Amino acid sequence: MRGLPPLLLALLLALLAAPAGARLLSQALGATAEPFPADRLIGLAVTHAGLSLAGVLPAALLGIGLGIAVTRGAGQGLRPAADALAAAAQAVPPVVVVALAVPAFGFGLWPTAFALLLYGLMPVLRATVAGLESVPPDARAAAIAIGLPPARVLAEVEWPLAWPVVLDGLRVALVLGIATAAVGALAGATTLGTPIVLGLQNQNQVLVVQGAAATAALAFAAEGLLLAVAGRRAAA
Amino acid sequence: MTAAPALAAALAAAALLLPLPWLAIAPNRLLPGEAVTAVSALGWLVLPPCLLFGVAALRRVPPLAAAAAAMAAVLLLLVLTGLAASQRLQDLSPAARAGLGIGLWLALVSGLLLAALRLADATLRDRLLLAFVMLATLAAAAAAGAFDGLSLAVEYRNRAEAVKAALLRHLALAASALILALVVAAPLAWAGFRRPRLAGPVGAAFAGMQVVPGLALFALLIPLLSALLHALPVLREFGLAAIGAAPAVIATAAYLTLPLWRGLSAGLAAADPAAVAAAQAIGMGEARITREVRLPLALPVFAAGLRVALVQAIGLVTLGGLVGAGGLGALVFEGLAQFATDLMLLGAIPIVLLALVADALARMAETRLAVPA
Repeated sequence: MRGLPPLLLALLLALLAAPAGARLLSQALGATAEPFPADRLIGLAVTHAGLSLAGVLPAALLGIGLGIAVTRGAGQGLRPAADALAAAAQAVPPVVVVALAVPAFGFGLWPTAFALLLYGLMPVLRATVAGLESVPPDARAAAIAIGLPPARVLAEVEWPLAWPVVLDGLRVALVLGIATAAVGALAGATTLGTPIVLGLQNQNQVLVVQGAAATAALAFAAEGLLLAVAGRRAAA
Repeated sequence: MTAAPALAAALAAAALLLPLPWLAIAPNRLLPGEAVTAVSALGWLVLPPCLLFGVAALRRVPPLAAAAAAMAAVLLLLVLTGLAASQRLQDLSPAARAGLGIGLWLALVSGLLLAALRLADATLRDRLLLAFVMLATLAAAAAAGAFDGLSLAVEYRNRAEAVKAALLRHLALAASALILALVVAAPLAWAGFRRPRLAGPVGAAFAGMQVVPGLALFALLIPLLSALLHALPVLREFGLAAIGAAPAVIATAAYLTLPLWRGLSAGLAAADPAAVAAAQAIGMGEARITREVRLPLALPVFAAGLRVALVQAIGLVTLGGLVGAGGLGALVFEGLAQFATDLMLLGAIPIVLLALVADALARMAETRLAVPA
C-alpha cells in the first residue's frame, strides 16, 4: 500500500504540531513561548483544507474539460496556448503568483483563490492531455471499428485508460494547492501559514514549528489519501 | 486564423476596450488609486494597438511579421500609457503615482503570448533577433523618459541600487542551492546506478521532499538549524547561522535533488548496453568506460534535469526573503508587509523574467548538446 508512509508521516507531524508535542520541542530548543492552542490550530487546518479543496476542485474539473477539448478535433488549435501557459506556470512558484495577484485583487482571500485556480488547472490539464495521448491507437481504432460513437469511445475506452494518469495530476494539484494556501497567508488569507508568518515576524519558534508541522501534515495526508485511492483502483 | 492566436488577440483587444482599470491615479505610493479605463486614458489611440493585435492573429500574415506586429503593439501601449500617465500627474502633487491596472497587465500578457504563439515554429536566430529589437526599443524609450510617469518606474528609480543588489544576491543563492543539491544527488545517483536496490528508497525520499510545502520547509529550518547550532556550536565557526542564507540554500536544494537525481539516473542508464559492451571488448577499463562512454551519452539526458532544477531554483529562492536570506523575495515580502504594490512588483517581475530567460537559455544549450558532435 503506497499511501501508508505519507499517512504515517502526516500523523507524526500532526503530533509535533499539537501543543504537547510543540512544548516538548520548545523545551529542547530552550524557547519559552506559549504554544498555539490546539482548537485554533484545528480551526485553521479546517479552513486551510477547505480553501485548498474549494480552489483546486473546480479548477481540476476545468482542467479535465480543457484537456479533453484540446485533444479532440475542434479544440486542437488551443493546444499551443495550453502548453505555453502550463510551461509558464511550472516556471513560476506559487509565492510569486500570489504576490503578482495582490495588485489586481487586493489583500485577503482573492489572490490565494486566483493562485489556487492556476495551480489546480495546470497539473490536471497536463495530466489529462498526457493520459489521453497515452491511450494505445489500437484500442481507439477497435472501439471506432465496432461502431461506437465518439462520446462512447471517450467514456468507455479512452477515459478508463487515461484515468490513472489524471489521478496522478489531481494528486499533484492538491498537494500544490495546500502549499499555495499556506503561502496565501502572506497576502492576508487565514490558513495554517498564518502561525508560520506570525512566528517568523515575532521570532516565536514554537509558533513556526507548529504551523510548519501542521501544514506539512496536511500535505502528506492529502498525498497519502490520493495514493491510497489510486492503489485501490489499481487493485480492483 | 487558428484558435490560439485569435484567442490571445481577442483577450488583448478586450483588455483595451472593456471598462477595466488601466491606470490607477493615487495620491501617494501606498493608497489605492482612482481607476482610469484605457479608453479614457488613451482616447482614440487605443485603436492602433487593437489593429496591430488583429493583424498579428491573421493566418495570412507571415509568422515573423505577425510576431513583430504584436510586439510593436505591446511597445506602443507601454509608451502611450507612460505618456498618458505623465500628463495626468502634471497638476497633482509630486507624491502622486500612476499605478498599472489589471487591464494593462492583461493586454501586455496576452500580447506577448500572441507573439510567442506566432513564433512557435521560428528559428532560434529569428526569435533572439526579435527579442533583442524589442528590448533595445524598450531601453531607448525608458532612456528618453517615456515611462517616467509610471509608478513602477518611479519606485525603481528610488530603489535601483537595492534592486540590483537583490538580483545578484538572488542569483548567488540559486547557484549555491543548485551546487549543494548536485553534491548530494550525484553520489546517490551513482550509487543507485551501481546498486539498483538503493535507487527505490532514494527516489522515494527525494519525491517525499516535494510534498512538503515550501513555506513550511523554509520556516522549519530556522528552529532546526538553531537546535543543531545549540548542540554543535563549532559549526558557527564555519559561518553556519540559523537565519540568513543557510536555511534558504538548504531548503531550496532539498527541492532540487529530485529533478537532478532523476536526470543523472536516467542519463547513466541511457548508455546503450551495446556501446558499453563494445568498449569492454576493445579492452577499456571500467573507469575509462565511465569517462569516455557513459558520461558523454548521459550528458544530453542530464541537461533536461539540470534545466528543470535551474528554473525551480530561481523561483524557490524567493521564499528565502522570509528567513533573512535577502534576494528578490525580500523586496516582494517588504512590499507585501507595507502594502506597497510597486515594491512587490519590483521583486516579482524580475523573478518571472529570470526564470523564463534561464529556461530559454537552458533549452538552447540542450538542443546544442542533443546534436551529435
